Amino acid sequence: MNLPLRKELRSPLRYADYSLGLVATLLALIGVALNYSSTWRVLEFNGQDPATYAKRQILFVAIGILVMIGATFLDYRLYRDFANQAYLIVMLALVGVLFFGVERNGARAWYELPGLTFQIQPAEFAKVAVVIALAAFVANKDGNLRLVTLGNAFLMLAVPLGLIYLQPDLGTMLVFVAIGMGVLLVAGAQLKHIVVTSLIGIVVVIGMFNSDNLGGPALLRETQEQRLTAFLDPTFDLQGASYNVNQSQIAIGAGGLRGQGWLQGTQTNLNLVPEQETDFIFTALGEEFGFIGITVLLLLYAYMLARMWFVTRSSKDLFGTFACVGALSMFTFQIFQNIGMTMGIMPITGIPLPFLSHGGSSTVVAFGLIGLVINISARKHLA
Amino acid sequence: MNEQLNRRLAFLGILIIGLFAALFTRAWYLQVLTADELSEKARANYVEIVIAEPTRGRILDRHGVVLADNIRSGVITVNQSRYAPGQIDFVLEQISTLTEIPIETLKSRLENQQTHPLAAKVVATGLDEYGLLRVSELSLPGVEAKWEMSRIYPQNEIGAHVVGYVGAMSRGQEDRLLQMGYLPSERVGKSGIEQIFEGDLHGKPGRTELEVDSTGRVHRILSQTDPTPGSDIYLSIDADLQAATESYLRQGLIAARKTVSDDSGFFYPAIGGAAVVMDLRNGDVLAMASHPTYDPNWLVGGITALEYQSVFENPYAPGALNNRAIQGLYSPGSVFKLVTALAGLEARLISPRAAFYDVGYFQIPDKYGCTGRCTFYNADKAPLGIVDLSSAITRSSDAYFYQVAHDLYWIRGDEQWAIQDMAKLLGFGSQTGIQLPFEKSGRIGDGDVKEALFESNPDAYNPYGESTQWLPGDNINTGIGQGFVSVTAIQLANAYAAFANGGTLFSPNIVEKVVARSEDRFGSSVIDFDPRIQRIAEFPEGSGVVREGLHGVTSKARRGTAWRAFEGYDSSGYAIAGKTGTAQAEGKNPVLQRKKEDSAVFVAWAPRHDPRYVVAVVMEEAGFGGEAAAPVARRILEAVRAYEQRWPDPQVAFIPPRPECPEIPEALRGYDAFTSYVPEGCPWGIQVPRANNPEDVDGDGVPDLEERSQ
Repeated sequence: MNLPLRKELRSPLRYADYSLGLVATLLALIGVALNYSSTWRVLEFNGQDPATYAKRQILFVAIGILVMIGATFLDYRLYRDFANQAYLIVMLALVGVLFFGVERNGARAWYELPGLTFQIQPAEFAKVAVVIALAAFVANKDGNLRLVTLGNAFLMLAVPLGLIYLQPDLGTMLVFVAIGMGVLLVAGAQLKHIVVTSLIGIVVVIGMFNSDNLGGPALLRETQEQRLTAFLDPTFDLQGASYNVNQSQIAIGAGGLRGQGWLQGTQTNLNLVPEQETDFIFTALGEEFGFIGITVLLLLYAYMLARMWFVTRSSKDLFGTFACVGALSMFTFQIFQNIGMTMGIMPITGIPLPFLSHGGSSTVVAFGLIGLVINISARKHLA
Repeated sequence: MNEQLNRRLAFLGILIIGLFAALFTRAWYLQVLTADELSEKARANYVEIVIAEPTRGRILDRHGVVLADNIRSGVITVNQSRYAPGQIDFVLEQISTLTEIPIETLKSRLENQQTHPLAAKVVATGLDEYGLLRVSELSLPGVEAKWEMSRIYPQNEIGAHVVGYVGAMSRGQEDRLLQMGYLPSERVGKSGIEQIFEGDLHGKPGRTELEVDSTGRVHRILSQTDPTPGSDIYLSIDADLQAATESYLRQGLIAARKTVSDDSGFFYPAIGGAAVVMDLRNGDVLAMASHPTYDPNWLVGGITALEYQSVFENPYAPGALNNRAIQGLYSPGSVFKLVTALAGLEARLISPRAAFYDVGYFQIPDKYGCTGRCTFYNADKAPLGIVDLSSAITRSSDAYFYQVAHDLYWIRGDEQWAIQDMAKLLGFGSQTGIQLPFEKSGRIGDGDVKEALFESNPDAYNPYGESTQWLPGDNINTGIGQGFVSVTAIQLANAYAAFANGGTLFSPNIVEKVVARSEDRFGSSVIDFDPRIQRIAEFPEGSGVVREGLHGVTSKARRGTAWRAFEGYDSSGYAIAGKTGTAQAEGKNPVLQRKKEDSAVFVAWAPRHDPRYVVAVVMEEAGFGGEAAAPVARRILEAVRAYEQRWPDPQVAFIPPRPECPEIPEALRGYDAFTSYVPEGCPWGIQVPRANNPEDVDGDGVPDLEERSQ
C-alpha cells in the first residue's frame, strides 16, 4: 500500500553501493604496496626504516576509510545546505596558505601543523568544496543554464583557479577545469557557450604561454613551459625537462608482460624515476607487475568509474547527479592525466593518482568523495 | 531524469571509455611492442662498468735483461675539444712555462697524434711529483696531470726493431680494441714483439659492474674481476751480443762511407744494413741488428713533428722503423752460389774435382742460338785460370757458376728448375716463420715469376719489351744470385745454418718462452718455443767439396775472397767457413740520383768443424762483400766467441728426434685401432693440436712441415 512510506522507513544502508568502498580500499592497499616498493631501497640505503612511507600511507588510508564511512552516514542533501559555507571556508584556507603555507618544490601549497609529520594541502579539499558548491549552484538553477548562470558558475571556478595559480600549481588548476567542464556539460550548458568558452580558454592558454613575448610579465614558469615542450618533443633535453617522462616510459617498458616482480624493479629501486612514490607511482606498478598488473589496475579503476556513472543516473535529485558527475570528472581526469603522463601521451603536471600516490590530503579527499557517491547511491530511493 | 541529461551522461560515459582505451593501447605499446628496447635502456641506466687497466708484460732477453718495462710516469694530457679553436694556446703557454717544454713542441704533439679528435692527448711525459703538482695547481679545464704506467725501454735502441714499440691505438683498430676491453688511453704494440705478442703482453683488463642509482651512488657490486697482468716475453737474443752486433754493423757502415767506389768514383752511401746471429743447432736467434735504428722511447710519449721528421723521414736514413733483417730484400750475389753448387751436384752436372778453365767470362755457345745477353763476365773481368768446385767457391768464380747455371737451364723434366728447387729447399722464397711481424718472403725467380712480373708492371720490369720467356741468361744470372732473386738476411743465415748443421732447416725462434704473471700461474711458462724444424734436407754427394770451398774463404793461401778481412784473426778453435757476396743493385738511389752501388754480403759459420753459430751481414750500397761486410762479420764472430765464454754452460743444443713412423697400409689408416698406435706427428697419426708441439707451432693440427711444403 504505502510503498513510498515503507521505502522511506527502510534503512538507506540497504541500497548503498558497498562495492565502491571495497574497490577504493583495494586500490589503496595496492597503493601501500607500491609506496613500499618505490621507497624501501633508498630508505634502506640511507639507514632509515624502509617502511617509513608505507606506514605513513597506511595511516592516511585508515583516516580516509573513516572519512568515507563518516561521509556515507549523513544525508547528502545536508551538504547542499552548507555548500556555500564550505566553499567560503576552503577559499579562505587557500588565501591563508599563500601567507602561512610552507613552500615545497617551488609551490606554496601546504599547511604545516605542529606535531604532525605530514602537511595538509588545502587545494585538495577545495576540490570537494567546489564539487558540492558547483553541483548545488547548478542544481538550484534546475539545469537551466543561461549565459548569466554560466558566468556565475565560471566565477565560482575562477576564484580557486586564481588562488591556486598564485601558489602556483598548474596540475590542480586543470583538475578544477575538468570538474567544471564535466558538471556544466552534463548540467545542460548550450553548445555555443561551450564552443565560445573553449575558444576563450585556448586564447588564454596561448596568451599565458607567450605573455613574456607579448611584453607582459611571464605568467607561466619556465619549468612548466619546458614540460610542455618536452611533451611535444620527446627528445628535448633528455637530462632535464624530458628526463622524467623518458625514464618513466623506460621503467614501464622494462616491466614487459609479467613485470620484474614486487621489489625487483631496477628503475624503481634505484630512484631513477623522480617523484616515484607520488606522481609517478604508476611506473612502479608498470615495472614490477607488467602489462598484467596495469590491466588489473585499469579494470579496477574502470569498475569504480562505471559504478559512479550508474549512480549519476540513478540519483533522484539533480544535486546528487551533478555532485556525482563532479566526482566522476575529477577521478577520470586525474587517472587519465596521471597515467597518460607516465606513459608519455600527456604532458607532465603534478597530479596525484587517486588512492595510489603517497599523500595524506589526496588520499583522504579521494575516500571522502567515494563516501559522498556511496551516500548518494544509498539514498536513490528517496524522492 | 530528462532525455537530455541522459544523453549527456551517455556522452560522458563514452568519453571515459575512450580515455581508458587510449591508456590501455599505450600500455600495450610500451610493455609488449617496445619492451625489449626499453629493457635494454633500463639496464644501461643502472649498470656502470669500470675497467681496470692490466699491467703490461715485460720483454726480456734470454738471460733476463729487461728490454721493455713499465714505470710510473707523470703525464699531462690536454683535451682539445674543450676549447674553441685558437683558445688552446693560452693553456699551452702556461704548461710550457711550468714544464719548460717549448710551446711549439706541445703544439705539434697535440696535432700529430693519430687518435680520436675528442680524446685527451698526451703532451708531456716523464714528469716528477713536483711537476704534476704545479700543473694540477693551475686547475685548467681539459688539462689533466696524473700518474700513468708508461712503457720504457731501458736499453734504448738495443734491439729496437725486435722489441718494437707501443703507441696510441690507431683509428682503424680502435673499435675492435675497445670492444675487447681496452681503455681509450691505453697504448698498444705497433711493431716487433710488442705487436705480435700484444695478446700475451696486454693481459686481461679488470671489469667491475656496479649497480648505481640516479645520483650515481653505488648500491651493489654486480660482478667483479681483477685485472690479470700480461705475460713476460723472454727473447732468445742476448742483449750484450745484440748491442755488439748493432755497434759493429754501424761502425762497418760508417767505414764504408769513407771508401771510394771504383765504379762511380763517389763515396759509398752505405745507408743501411742488417746482421743476424743464429744458433744453428736449434734455430735460436741470438742477435738481430738493423741499421738505421731508433730509440723506441721516443715513440711512447708523443714525438714532436720535428723529431719525427729528423728521425723517420730523413732521406739519408730511410726506413729507420723497418727491420731490415726480415724486411729488407737484397740480391744475395755470390752467397747464392752455395745453392747453385748444390743444385749442380744434385743434377749430377758437376763433377766436384773436374777442372774448369775460367777465362774471365762465359759465352753461351752458338749451337744454342743465343737471344738477349750472350756474354757474361766475372766481377772484374779477371780470369781465374783453372778451378774446381772447391776453389770456384773459395775464389768466387763467376764463370764456373755461369756454366753450371747455363747447363742446368737445358735440363728438362723434374730437374728443370734445379737451382730454384734447391733454393726453396733451403728456405728461400718463403717466410722463415720467425715470430716477428711483416716478414718478407723474398723471391726466387723462375719462368712463372718472370712472366707474372713482366705482365704486372711492364714499365718497371720490362721497359724494352723483351721476351717474357725464361731465357738461358735469366738462369745464368740466377746462378750467381742476381736477377730475379731477392732474399732477406734471416733467410741467408737460416739457409747456411741448414747447410752447416747437416740439413736441418729450422724456423728461427726469436722468442724463447712466454711466462705468465697471473696470480694462479705466476712464473710458469705459458708457451715454450722449442726448436721448430721446417724440413730436413739431404744434400747430394759431393757437398763435402762445397763445404771445403767455404772453409777456404779466409785463407790467404787459397786466395779466399775474405782473407784480407780475417788477417790476424785468432782462429784457434774458432776458425770459420763462409762466403762473400757482392750484389749489383738495380735502379737508382732515390736521393743521390745515380746508379746504386753494390751491396756487400757475408755469411759465415763458426767454428768450422763443429758449427754452432751462423752470422749473416748485409750492407746496402757499401761495396764488396769481402771488404765491407766481412770485417763486420769478423768482429761479430769475435763477440760470439766472447759470448760463449761468458755463458760457458752448453746452450740448448737439442734437436728433437723425428718420430719413427711405422708403415701402415693406406687402407687401414682410418681405423682407430691402427691410428692410435701411430706416434704423434706422423702423417697418418692422430693430430693433436698443441701449442707447444715443435712441429706444429701454429696449432692447427697440421704439422708445419707439411704445411710449408704444400
